[in-house]
Parts: sequence; C-alpha cells; structure tokens
Amino acid sequence: MAAQNKISHQVGEFQNDVFRFDIHGVKSDIVGSHPLETLCQSAKQREEEIKRRILVNTYGTAFPMKMDFDRQILSRFQRPTGAIPSSMLGLEAVTGSLEDFGFEHYLNDPRESESFRPADLHHGMEVRIGLSKGPAYPSFI
Amino acid sequence: MSNSAIDVPSRGGFSFDLCRRNDMLAKKGVNLPSFRKTGTTIVGLIFQDGVILGADTRATEGPIVCDKNCEKIHYMAPNIYCCGAGTAADTEAVTDMVSSQLQLHRYHTGRESRVVTALTLLKKHLFNYQGYVQAALVLGGVDCTGPHLHTIYPHGSTDTLPFATMGSGSLAAMAMFESKYKEGLTKDEGIQLVVDAICSGIFNDLGSGSNVDVCVITKGHKEYLRNHLLPNPRTFVNAKGYSFPKKTEVLLTKITPLRERVEVVEGGDAMEE
Repeated sequence: MAAQNKISHQVGEFQNDVFRFDIHGVKSDIVGSHPLETLCQSAKQREEEIKRRILVNTYGTAFPMKMDFDRQILSRFQRPTGAIPSSMLGLEAVTGSLEDFGFEHYLNDPRESESFRPADLHHGMEVRIGLSKGPAYPSFI
Repeated sequence: MSNSAIDVPSRGGFSFDLCRRNDMLAKKGVNLPSFRKTGTTIVGLIFQDGVILGADTRATEGPIVCDKNCEKIHYMAPNIYCCGAGTAADTEAVTDMVSSQLQLHRYHTGRESRVVTALTLLKKHLFNYQGYVQAALVLGGVDCTGPHLHTIYPHGSTDTLPFATMGSGSLAAMAMFESKYKEGLTKDEGIQLVVDAICSGIFNDLGSGSNVDVCVITKGHKEYLRNHLLPNPRTFVNAKGYSFPKKTEVLLTKITPLRERVEVVEGGDAMEE
C-alpha cells in the first residue's frame, strides 16, 4: 500500500511545483517564449527518437528497451543534493554525451546565475526517497 | 520512460527568459536597440599542395571601427583553420566550441581530425539554431584525404569549392578569384592571389579594412602569417610623442559607503542531534 502512495521520483527540468514556480499560464506553456526555444527542445527529443528507431530496426525491440533500463538505473545513481552536483558519469557514458561539448557546458552555468538558490539537502533527500515532490534542485536559471 | 529521461540536474546554455519581456516592451512602443552592421572579407583557395586562407583585420560595429587589427582566422585543429564573418562573438564561440569537440574526438580516436568532421559539427550546430548564431565561415584544412575547402552559411547550408569568399567584401574578392584563379597554383602564386583578393575587399568595401592575414596549410605543416601585408599604415605619428599636461580631473570626492544588509554571525546555531 505504501508503494502506491509514493510520488514518483522526478528531478531536473520538472517544474510543476506551483508554490515555487508560480502558476503556469496555458498560453505561455504552449507557445513558449521564443520559437527557437521549442525547436531546441524538440530537436533533442527527435534525435533520440531517431536513434532509438535505428536500434529497433537493426537489433530488434528488446535492445533499446534494455538500454532504457540501463539509462533509468544510471540516472538514479546520484550524489545527495548539496554543494556538489552529480556528475552522472555512468549515464553520460551510456548515452554518449560524455564526448559532447556544447554551449551548455560552459555558458550560463545555473550555479553562477544571480537567481541561484543552493540546494536544500533535507528537501533533496525527501525527494530522493519519495516523501515530497521534486525537483530537488530549486533554482531556475 | 518519459519521466526518467529528465532525471539530471539542469544545465546552462541559451536562456530565453527575456524574450517575453522584450516582446511586451516592443508592443508597448519601446524602441529596442537595432542590430549593428558588421563587415568582413574572408577568402580561401586550394593550391597545388594544400589550402590558403585569408582575412582582413577590421572589426566593424555599425558606423564604428572597433578594432583595427583583430584576428579572423581561427584555430580548429592543428591541420584545420577557419575564417569567420558575421557577429565576432558568435564566430569565436562556435569555432572555439567545435575545436574543443575535435580535440575530444582526437583524444578518443588517436587520429588526425578530418575536415568533414569539423564541417558536420559546425553545420549541425548552426542549423539547430536556425540562423540565430550569426556565423558565416570559410573552413579549410588538409587531412588524410587531401586538401578541402568549405563555406558554411549562418543557416547551416554548406558548399564545397576550389575557391571561396565570404562576408560583405565577398563580391570584390570573388571578382579577383574569378579572373585569376586556375588549377595547380604554386604557393607563392596562391598567396599573391589571396592577398590581391583581400586587398580588393579592403579598398572597395567599407566594412573591411586594415591589414591582411594569411594562413597556408599543407600536408603536415601550417604557416600562419599574421599581418602578412600592412597596406594601411598610420599616416602620421608625432616624432616627439604625445604629452598630456592636464591630468584627469577629480570632480567629486564624497564617498557614500554601502549599507551592510546581511549580518554575519560567527558560529551560529549548533547542529541538531
């Protein structure tokens, strides 16, 4: 019974906490603030989808599913929230993003943002064990 | 699957926070600052042993020349260089980022980078940003498959050519190339033609000026000739030097110390057991 009441473990770009992130306008959510923003987000998803489809065609459906499990397991392997963010080395090695290098790695680091709020360890652990809702990292850039 | 793919701390990169605010301000009738006009002449050609790249050194910012001797030939890899036209910050950021990606790739594979790798990385990035990253590039290099020269437009389309020009002075430079280029140029002839093309840009295009930079890349060797030619030296410099008798005037000596808003308490509360 306890397992059913558990709130699913969500960290990262999940921003549905109304008290913390303000009420979302329907229009702004759909339209987005800039056409390029939606494009950047969808491009990443589309690329992943294409990669997945290629794997399905070459190795069968079981292979990408197994990779998804690996990805899920590795994405949960994180440091306790606090001063040092998780390096996500295993996940990056699996997804191949270890060899990537882009603007997001050195420009506009959320930790250097003026609206940065240090992560609360207590809250972060509650999120981790499923006692409260995410995200564990409260800052929004 | 859908709720586990996002299980990582948020990253940096482009932020679109202020777009909505700027939209609102524009609708209320605020005149937002307009774009600054930029100008450049960059060229490249293939000669018998490799590739020669050339660029002028004027950085234009609307009606102002903000740098008389800037570098427009950027390092990508030991065997690849890239000329950049457009917004200076964008060309530098993009070429630096891709040169880091190439370095990572070289560490991974242990081989010399290929020009097509750099080309693919650049065009993929530029296409993803739909022309908002304003970089028009001439990419040249020599790898295991021979000399290559490519032009990359800001929206991500590319061309593969034996001689290429870019920037506002591209028409003036292309005129020189089209009249004088032939296959199998020697190194000296090639450098001379590149210098002619850049000089044509310098003297006929207002956005380009100052000196000529040249980069010669051959198999296993490169030669970066910074300020190869200085066609616009300063016409008059006072032989006695300049003296400024009047020092900078002090207008105000009143100092207002900032009020401390945060009280720092030494020690603080003891931790709960």
